[in-house]
Amino acid sequence: MASEMDTIATTSTQSMPKTLKRKSKLKGKKPGKKLKGPRNSAMAEARKRKKPSKRMLQMFSKRAKRYDSDSDSDEEDEREGRDGEDERDDGLSGSEGEGEGEGEEHGGITRFSEGCRAFKVAFLKIMKKNLPNDPLGPILAAHKKLVVAKLAEEEEEHKTKGHARKKKQLVEEKGHVKPESYLDAKEKLLIGIATKGVVRLFNAVSKAQNPQKELNPSTSKDAKALAKQRKQTFLSELKKQSAPSVDEESNELGWAPLRDSYMLGSKLKDWDKMADTAVGGDDGEQYMQSSSDEE
Amino acid sequence: MARWRDRRRQRAVVKTQVAKNKNQPSVDQVTGGKIPKSFVFARGKLPAPLKQLELDLRKLMLPYTALKLKEKKRNNLKDFLNVAGPMGVTHFLMISNPKSIPYLRVARTPQGPTLTFQIKEYALAADIAKSQPKYRCTPELFKNSPLIVLSGFGGGGQHLKLTTIMFQNIFPAIDINTVKLSSCQRIVLLNYNAEERLIDFRHYSIRLQPVGVSKRIRRIVQTHQVPDLRNLQDVSEFLTKAGYGSESEGDDEAATVSLATDVDRVNKASNKSAVRLQEIGPRLTLRLVKVEEGLCSGNVIFDEFDTSSVFSVEKETYKEAAEDSEKEASEDEPVDSAED
Repeated sequence: MASEMDTIATTSTQSMPKTLKRKSKLKGKKPGKKLKGPRNSAMAEARKRKKPSKRMLQMFSKRAKRYDSDSDSDEEDEREGRDGEDERDDGLSGSEGEGEGEGEEHGGITRFSEGCRAFKVAFLKIMKKNLPNDPLGPILAAHKKLVVAKLAEEEEEHKTKGHARKKKQLVEEKGHVKPESYLDAKEKLLIGIATKGVVRLFNAVSKAQNPQKELNPSTSKDAKALAKQRKQTFLSELKKQSAPSVDEESNELGWAPLRDSYMLGSKLKDWDKMADTAVGGDDGEQYMQSSSDEE
Repeated sequence: MARWRDRRRQRAVVKTQVAKNKNQPSVDQVTGGKIPKSFVFARGKLPAPLKQLELDLRKLMLPYTALKLKEKKRNNLKDFLNVAGPMGVTHFLMISNPKSIPYLRVARTPQGPTLTFQIKEYALAADIAKSQPKYRCTPELFKNSPLIVLSGFGGGGQHLKLTTIMFQNIFPAIDINTVKLSSCQRIVLLNYNAEERLIDFRHYSIRLQPVGVSKRIRRIVQTHQVPDLRNLQDVSEFLTKAGYGSESEGDDEAATVSLATDVDRVNKASNKSAVRLQEIGPRLTLRLVKVEEGLCSGNVIFDEFDTSSVFSVEKETYKEAAEDSEKEASEDEPVDSAED
């Protein structure tokens, strides 16, 4: 990797040696160390071992203090010496500064090759650092306290939301009763009442329908007898006195149609004037009015 | 303009039901009376269990109701009224949930009285299905409308009578001379509890079982399952083996009917059969809270929580009550005292 980068560096430096030279001439601060042509890489490596002068060290320390990777103004100042750094991610923070600091130490001008090397060092450092298996992913920010605070906030939010949701659910389910045992005493009572009602209805039906079998409905004589029988059974069914309900103290009968005061007492008295009405009959008068309207 | 567009859209929404109701007669051929049809819908936003209750009630009211009624947020009562007229819908059942208290309103269109019930407790059909070991609910049950049994309403006041009439009219009438017993498959029970002033609403399915037939034989005939005769020497053993009778057979004495016609293969005419009910459908505990003269409007005839406006036919007692209330300087109820 390193060798490749160096070769890239050499080719690129070879391709643009003139510009570099021009820039080196422009900068007056630089000592007279000129890099010429193919000797760049060799010279760069040779220079690494040499320590910079004291004056240079002071300059470097100043720069390090002023250094802020986020601000653009500093970068512009140092851009001349940092062509290679344009390729680097601006997202990398403090550790990159160290890498750059390292690169600076090795000379006033950080060449492309050095920039690559510095990047390499910084990258390796980051990769070494991120060993912990954080569920949130690699935290590149050094401010772990902030991260912890944010996590705590999020958890609190979740908790309050959970409480609110539970309350809402309770309100929604108000009145909703899930029956644990399907047949307790009260339910048995109710089923008994319903059964009695059904039994009475079926008995009434059988009484009303059975005698018809004896007579032939086609003959007119029998038809009259049939109609008479129907009337009688119908009346008798209606006037039956029995209370299937729990409420035995009531004076009126349990099942509504069997009461004489059914339908507010007015309709049933006129039943024989109307056609054969049903057991649970409708508001017949109104219907007849409406039918006349329709016709 | 927006109104017209809304109506058009609503008509488009309602199209699905019109197709369904084409086959349904609006006049009962047997009794000659008008078949009552109903709409079950919600007013306002309902929480999930109440929505399920609304669907259960729709199923209960089958076949004379719109099962897939699509209601939108912007539909008001007027929209439903407009659609109800041409379709012959006579009753509205409305569920609402103001201030998290569920209410059920039963109203007769177009200007009929409105009964408002507070739903104190309810259990969904799904809950009941879970709690029963042997739940049996087939779609054929819902092909005919249910019977209705009202009990305990005798002694109450006029508001109770109005309740009974209203509920009787919601379900179509049956003519005992011509009704087929096989079409009576469901029953709705409304039981009034005078001490607590609560109405229990239950929904059962009717099942007829022939009496006097041993369980094993009945099982063969009904389920067509070949019995296991491994441990028996002879078929006669199978038939005559004394098995323990089921617990509820003792109660069946009161529940036996002699059938008029053949109900199905097992229950034949003039044979004794026992009536067995099984609960399906939702369970409600209701309290009558308000009776209004109009459709969710008009005079308040009865108010549970305001004793000064007790519904009474006798004018004198009503006037006394009104005077008492005036003396006590309680709330004024806008009741029409000049009733005929």
